[in-house]
Order: sequence, then structure tokens, then C-alpha cells
Amino acid sequence: MSETVNLIVNGQDKAVSCSANTTLSQLLREHLMLTGTHVGCDTSQCGACTVHVDGKAVKSCTILAVQVDGSEITTIEGIANQGEQHAMQAAFKECHGLQCGFCTPGMIMASIDLVQSGMDLTEPEIREGLEGNICRCTGYHNIVSAVASAGQKMREA
Amino acid sequence: MELTQRLEIPVSNQVVWDALNDPLILMQCLPGCQRFEATAENCFEMTVQAKVGPVKAVFKGEVMLTEMDPPRAYRISGQGQGGVAGFAKGGAQVSLVPAGTVAQPATLMTYVVIATVGGKLAQVGGRLINGAARKIAKQFFTEFVRIVCKQEAMDVVIETIQGEG
Amino acid sequence: MSNELIGARVLRKEDNRFITGKGRYTDDINLAGQTYACFVRSPHAHANIKGFHISAAENAPGVVAVLTGLQVLEDGLGGLPCGWMLHSKDGSEMKQPMHPIMAGEKVNYAGEPVAVVIADTYEQAKNAVEQVAVDYEVLQAVVDTSSAAEQADIYPDIPANTCYNWELGDAEATSQGLAEAAHITRIELINNRLIPNAMEPRAAIADYNTGTEELILYTTSQNPHLARLIFTAFVQIAPEHKLRVIAPDVGGGFGSKIFVYSEETTISWASKKIGRPIKWTAERSESFLTDAHGRDHHTMAELALDEEGNFLALNVKTTANMGAYLSTFASAVPTYLYGTLLAGQYRTPSIYVEVDAVFTNTAPVDAYRGAGRPEATYVLERLVEKAASELAIDPAELRRRNFIGKDQFPYQTPVALEYDIGDYEASLDKALEMSDYAGFASRKDASQRAGKLRGIGLSCYIEACGLAPSALAGSLGAGVGLWESGEIRVNPTGSVTVLTGSHSHGQGHETTFAQLVSAKLGIPIDDIDVVHGDTGKMDFGLGTYGSRSLAVGGSALSRAADKVIAKGTKIAAHLLQTDAENIEFDAGEFKVIDSNEGKTIQEIAFAAYVNHDFPIDELEPGLTEKAFYDPVNFTYPAGTHICEVEIDPDTGVTEITKFTAVDDFGTLINPMIVEGQVHGGLVQGIGQALLENCVYDTEGQLVTGSYMDYCMPRADDVPSFDVGMTCTPCTHNPVGAKGCGEAGAIGSPPAVMNAVLNALGQTDMDMPATSEKVWQAIQNAAASN
Repeated sequence: MSETVNLIVNGQDKAVSCSANTTLSQLLREHLMLTGTHVGCDTSQCGACTVHVDGKAVKSCTILAVQVDGSEITTIEGIANQGEQHAMQAAFKECHGLQCGFCTPGMIMASIDLVQSGMDLTEPEIREGLEGNICRCTGYHNIVSAVASAGQKMREA
Repeated sequence: MELTQRLEIPVSNQVVWDALNDPLILMQCLPGCQRFEATAENCFEMTVQAKVGPVKAVFKGEVMLTEMDPPRAYRISGQGQGGVAGFAKGGAQVSLVPAGTVAQPATLMTYVVIATVGGKLAQVGGRLINGAARKIAKQFFTEFVRIVCKQEAMDVVIETIQGEG
Repeated sequence: MSNELIGARVLRKEDNRFITGKGRYTDDINLAGQTYACFVRSPHAHANIKGFHISAAENAPGVVAVLTGLQVLEDGLGGLPCGWMLHSKDGSEMKQPMHPIMAGEKVNYAGEPVAVVIADTYEQAKNAVEQVAVDYEVLQAVVDTSSAAEQADIYPDIPANTCYNWELGDAEATSQGLAEAAHITRIELINNRLIPNAMEPRAAIADYNTGTEELILYTTSQNPHLARLIFTAFVQIAPEHKLRVIAPDVGGGFGSKIFVYSEETTISWASKKIGRPIKWTAERSESFLTDAHGRDHHTMAELALDEEGNFLALNVKTTANMGAYLSTFASAVPTYLYGTLLAGQYRTPSIYVEVDAVFTNTAPVDAYRGAGRPEATYVLERLVEKAASELAIDPAELRRRNFIGKDQFPYQTPVALEYDIGDYEASLDKALEMSDYAGFASRKDASQRAGKLRGIGLSCYIEACGLAPSALAGSLGAGVGLWESGEIRVNPTGSVTVLTGSHSHGQGHETTFAQLVSAKLGIPIDDIDVVHGDTGKMDFGLGTYGSRSLAVGGSALSRAADKVIAKGTKIAAHLLQTDAENIEFDAGEFKVIDSNEGKTIQEIAFAAYVNHDFPIDELEPGLTEKAFYDPVNFTYPAGTHICEVEIDPDTGVTEITKFTAVDDFGTLINPMIVEGQVHGGLVQGIGQALLENCVYDTEGQLVTGSYMDYCMPRADDVPSFDVGMTCTPCTHNPVGAKGCGEAGAIGSPPAVMNAVLNALGQTDMDMPATSEKVWQAIQNAAASN
């Protein structure tokens, strides 16, 4: 029942042997030990598990590993550039956009996709863009500031 | 949840009543039914695969026919354990009234469906139970009418009297 | 302690690991030989267990063990205790049902664990759980809070499903006040039941070493020492010196991770049986069913006023739902954390409160962000707003008229507390200004022209934080003193390891405490690390809840820093060949008074460990000091929240157009972190007011058991906030801090509801004010006109 899934994860080629019902989040956390991707619910509602599949934000708890065979996966561990934090990571710290840190990886991955999607990033647009990710700590106020701030930097770069 | 519906079946009261008491017919009408065996008079064991929202489970349980008033009325009630999915209880109070003529017999069937769920089914599928029970009732009685009328593709019109149709 | 670090917006030291995916939460940890546990849970809310059928599961692939509630009984394990003894008004002790870690004979709420399957892999455990069959004899469930006492008894030895009938205050004086009133405002309220929903589900790994007989438990706890104490003293899993509890990075708590639960206790017991590590991680569905819920009060209250609108008396009668068992602190929440706060910010001379706590066939209810204080604030601030409406007095003015004046402190309330300091008018004035309260009428007109309904609502809250003065808490029934420990280890090369009994699960202690110690010792903040959450590393501590960490844990560190300075002074005197009285310490340097001579604290630290010539009768080597700080009083954060809403009458949708929070938390160490705490609390309060509601059906089935049905506030449900501060430093702790973690969730629900009702021109509605409920209220009002 074991399947081999070939992926590029954070720039590295990976061939992972897993069962057909392994989710992408399980593959990342349990096979590749990339525990930065968190699982916060079992109904695909909280967004803590968000990663990028071929550059687009995807909830990794509700996609099977075999479905993303051949794809390029980026997780929170893979967005820094040679030790330099991604603008979104830096902005979350700068704006105090995190508290317990559990939703943060998914929130950052969703936010990067949101900025890259080319929306204008007014406050209402950021809020609507992040409604698939639940944060229980921050009240979203500083997350919205972080995304606005990083968005500006990402577009200037 | 409670749902009252009514339909007219173009066969005699006695034919409908007999069918309602035939385990083979009941088994064919119940969607996902894999087993339906008599264990005592008016008592049956069943195995049914059902899906409510995101929860799919095999339910094992019993069905009982009570409040027998041939050929006018009975209550069919059942409960099933779905393991980690929880449990489901439900039933229908069915009553029959002759509605046709000797030449063209017909029966007016009214039923009140009651369904409750527990465990995971209630937790994540609770708000879908009305829809699921309505759908199961519709499938059951549509199939039932087609069998008693021996017409596989017959149009069956079900009228909702009370509850969300 | 004069340092630019106090009050500085220092970026958080802990953030780097969280933003790079390098946090280490319990489920991120894997041990060699680890097995996985999945629980079998009751689908029924109330049932007798007639039998377990486990042989199929035992023989399933990979299964190591199947343990049931019957084995818990056979092993004679103690139940999970409640740590706060309450007495009814007749003097009798509260009733406490035995709370087994897994039920063997009878289940009392849906989701209660009855058995556990342990297997080599998670999938195997999960599959085998389906093979366990349990026979139940279903009993009628008791669900409704207000009628629970009239229903059939859940426990044979607990009549009327009643845990206690508690009272506080002067009943006679309160009746007198009501009799003399020119006006009485009455209200009936339900404080809706909530599910905490920390984003990290509870998890645990128990690792029993058969060689050393030591048990290490990694768990999602806000207070690992308390967990260890309960495991040892009550459940008797392992002796305290053989039990190490580690709470690594914890993804939010909000109260729900204070308590000791069945699951981590069960796997600790089971790990000892199988001699292998066991991991359990809750699915969100399990969190919904079994994390201790919050609130769930039904209250009737009446406020007596004279002709001028002065409050004369307050009478409150509350029924509080405890759920099926008493969770760790459950009994204290609707009593000493609730009744004592009913004076609010006001001079009300007579107050009487009765609380009936009832058992139901629902999950246990315990402290959730605010714990009792939001319920008190909600009753009082809804009542005051309604009184203002009935008397046609501006609600801000009515409050101001009844405030305790800033020159009246210390102020003894009629409900046991003595407030040390505050300035309620200052917060009110600042909030009125920031919210442009004066300009509301014109904004309302503008909304009206656009076909919208606009409303404004106030809430002036107070809370008692800094839990807790041990003597007082003990006299009120607390099972443990509620002091805190802190230790400062100045290492030989001058870096510092700070150990605290407080626990950070989002609050930023690694930064705030480092700022505090840096400011005290003059050591750069980058050289200071804060360690918490490991009973193997630090002294006994009481953990984090009730907005206590800085006020109590920070005060312990402040005291420990004073001891480091005192010891360093002695070392400096020795090195500089003078008397200690001639040394003064400032900004990291021990100086000889009136001279140029001195030693830096780093030099002193080095000398403390490497020197060869200490006069050992007078001076020990080393520079490590610890302190246990026991507060003399609670702290009393207070403030004013003002909410402005606009309602679309066609849809009933409420939009918060502006939310202003002005809080007095005393001295702030890191305003950035404090504001973050306020934001988060506000959204939890707004969630309660507009969205969240935990619902059981009449059979005791949880029908809001996932994020599809339990409405969590999301980014587009809430606004950005205007947060302001006023400051009256706490008079009795060395930091001057009062606590900021819960204020947002305490002040905001009544402000939101008052605003919604103001917009509707109505005075009665229960939370949550969903669009459906608001729309219905608009329709009903239109129909009756």
C-alpha cells in the first residue's frame, strides 16, 4: 500500500515512501520532520497547516501527499533566504503579529500568497484575505499591520 | 428533528400494509442497507452504511415494528451504533387511509419521521441531520412506492405537511 | 530601577523561533520507541456502562494495550481533584463527584473517555479504537443550567444536582436599599457558554523509564508544577521526585490549559504499565468535547437607585453550570472570582449575591480568560446601562456619578475586596475623548440617513488580578498558596539565566522578564535568557493564569534581583577592600561612594565563581539568588471600553465601526506586548458578544463541535482597535504592575452588547448578538409598534 511521492521541498528533491492516505501535513511533519507546519483542526477551517504548493497557499491537512506528487512545496522553514528572514517573517516580529506562535507559520504562508496575489492590500482586503486562518491570541490587529507592512516591502523589492 | 409528509400510492391499503411488513422490501427501500434479518416477531437486525455530512459509518442495530394497527398504522423505529461515529436513532409513525375506489384503489400514506444522532455525528454532522433524514425518508418512500407499484421509474410526489420540506 | 528598558517596546526574544518554524510544541517532540494513544469516548451524555468488548482491538495490528475505565478502578487511582473548597451558606462543604480519569461504570458527559488504545503507530491506534465496543444503558441527560436543580439527580449522593449554594454580602442591608429606592432596574441575563479554542490542541507525551523509575511528562500546561503536584498527591501516578513535567512551547491557553485532564493522566499511568513512551494529541473535535468550557451563567439582578441616580444596593442571583465534574479551579470561578467583583468601579454601599452551582451532563466548566470577572462585569455593566436608559441619564454620567473617587483609596467594597488604587474618571475621560463620544449624535444621524442603525455602548470594568495573596486565598478555600518563585543565575561570564515558575504560552515572558531583570541588573537584555515550564529546572511555581505573571512572578524576580545586588555588593566590598555600606549599585556597576573605584556586575559575577580568597565564613561563592513572592493583596486593573456599532436593519449584521479601550494596568514594562494582550482579549470578548456560543441539544450532544458550527472570530469579523493607557501603579508590589492578560475579554462583551442595544433602542438581548437574533429583534419591535 506504500506509494512513493516525489517532491521538491524547500528547494530540495525528496522521494518519500508513504501510504496512500497520508496527508501532506503528515508527510511534512512525520516523514520530513518539518514540524513548523502545524495542525490546528480536523475540518480544514483553521489554516495553521498552510504551506505553498507550486507557489499557492494550500491547507496541507486536507490534501493527500500523492495528490501533490511532482510539486514544489514551500514551508515556513523554507522561506528565509540564506539565513535572512523573509520580509513577512520580519514584519510579523516587527509588528508583534504573533503571540503563542502556533498559527503563525500558516498565517505567514497565507499572507505571502495574499501579497503575491496582487490585491491592493487595504485593511478590509487583508482581513478578507486572511479569513481562512484563525488566530486566537492577537485579535488580528497586529497581523493586519504586519501584512500591510511586509506587502509594501515585498512590492518595492 | 421532526418531519411530516404525505403521499398517495395507487394500490390498495392491504397491498401497502403487506409491503410495510415485508423485511425484503424494507431492506430494498432503506438506502445503504446491507443486512436486514428478522430476529423475532416484528424485530429485525440490520446493518446500514450511511453518511451524514463528513461522517460516514456502518451502523449496526435493531429495527422494531410497534403500535401495530393492521392495516391502518404502525411505528417503525430503529437505532444503530456507528462505532466512533456515534449513534443514530430514528423512526416513522406511518398511517394509511384508503383513498381510491374499488376499481382504482389508492392509499393515502402519512408519516412522521423523527431522527436524533449522538457522538461525532452530532458534533460535526448535527446541523446536517435534518437534510440527511429528509433525504433518507425521501429515498425510502420513493423506492417503497416503486416496489409496491412494480414500476421502477415511476414519479413519486411527496408533500411536506410539517417540518422543513 | 530607573532604566529606559522599563516601558520600552522591545521586540520579542521568542519570536525568531516561531516565525521560522522552529518552535517546539509538544506534538513536535518524538521519542525513541514511542507509541500512540487514541481514546474511546462516550457518545452518550449520561449512561451506565454495561460492558466493554476489547478483545478485537487488543488483537488488531500494532496494538500494544487496551485499557478501560475498569482497570482504572482496579488500580485504585484517585480522581482528578478540584483545588478550591467552597462552602454553602448553611456551612456545608460543596459536593464533589468522583472524577475518574476514565469512566468504568458510568459516563456523565458526551466525549468522556472510557478506554484508551495504545499502538505502535497513530493509524493503528485510531483504527483499533473502532474495534472497541461498549454497551451502554442510556439515561436521561440533564443539560439546561437554569432548570438543572429540578431535574433527576445525576449522582445519587448529590441532591438537586447542586454543588453549593453560596452567598456573599449583606442580604439585609441590600433588601433595605431596595426598599428605599426611588428606582429599581432589573435584568435577566444568560452569560453564554464558550469553548476556549487555544489554537494548539492539548497534547502530551508520557515517558516512563523502567530503569530509573522516572516519569517525564511533556504536556500542554500553563502550570506544570501544579500538574506534578496533582499527579503525585491526588492521582498517585508517581512520587514527586520521580516525576518531571515539561510544558515546552504551548500554543495558547486562555485558562483551558491550567487544568489537569484525563488524557495526560491516563497516558502517564499507561506508560508505566507498558514501559514505553506514549504520545497523545487531541484532534480539534476532542478539544471541543473535553477542554474545560467557560462561562454558562443564568443571572437575575436588580440595582436600586435614589432620585439622583446614586446606586443604593445591588442584588444578584446566579445559577452557574459546573458541567459533569468539578474541574481543577471550577468552584472558585463563579464565587470568589465573580461575586467579589460586583462592586465594579462603584460606591454601591450594599451588595448581596447568591450563586447556585449545578451539575449537568456537559463537559466540565472552569476558568476561561477572565474567569468570573467577565461574568460580573457583564451583569453590572448591562444593568448600569439599562438603568441609565430607564432614567434618561447619559450612561457615562451615571457611571461617573457613582465612581469611587481617586482620593478614596484604599477602598473597602461590600464584597470582601479592598482596592488599593485607581483613577476611574481618568480612564473614562480618556476613552470618551478617544472615541469622540461627543460626536456620536452626528454620526448616528449620518447612519440614519444611510438607512443604518448606529449605537454606542460603554463598559467600565474592574478585575482582581495577581492571584493571589496566599493567606486570603487560603481563608477562602484555596488548596494551595498562590505565591510565585523566581531565580536569577548570574553565570561566571556575566550572562544571566532567569528561571520562573510562571509559564509563557504567548504572553512574551521571555522578553518582559528579561527587560525587567536587565533594568534591575544593568546587564544587556541579549545576555539574559528566561527559562520556564520544566519542573526539572526550576523551583516549585504556580504557573500562569489570572493575569498574574508580571505582578507575582515578575515581583519574585524583582526580589531575586535585589538579592543578587545585595550579594554582589558584598563581593564588591571584599574585592574593593571597603565596607558594603560604602558600595552603591547603579546601572550594572558596583561603585565605591565618592570615588572612581568600582566593578561591573560582570566582573563581580566572574569573581563570585573563580575567586580564591573569599572569607568563607562571611561570604559564599556564587551569584545565584531566588525569591518566593507572596502578594499582600490582589491587583486591580480597571478601565473603560467604548464600542460603536452600525447595524444593517435589512440583514441584522452588526459592524463594529470603532472600539476604544483605555486601561490602567499600572506600570508597563513592554507596552507593545501589553497592547497585544488587549487586542487578543478584545476579540475574545467580541467573539462572545457577537459570534461564539456553545450549544448542547436536549440529549446532551454538543452540536457546536467544530469550526463549522462554533463561530470563531476571524480577521474580517473584527476591526482594528484604539488602545489607550492610564497609569496608577500598584501600591503593593515592587514592579507596580497590575496585569493585562484578561482585561480585553472582561471589558468588551458588555460594551458591545450595550452598543447593539443602543442602536436597536432596546434593553434586553442575550449574547451572542448574531445577525439572525438582531434581525429578529428589529422585526419584533416593528411588529409591536
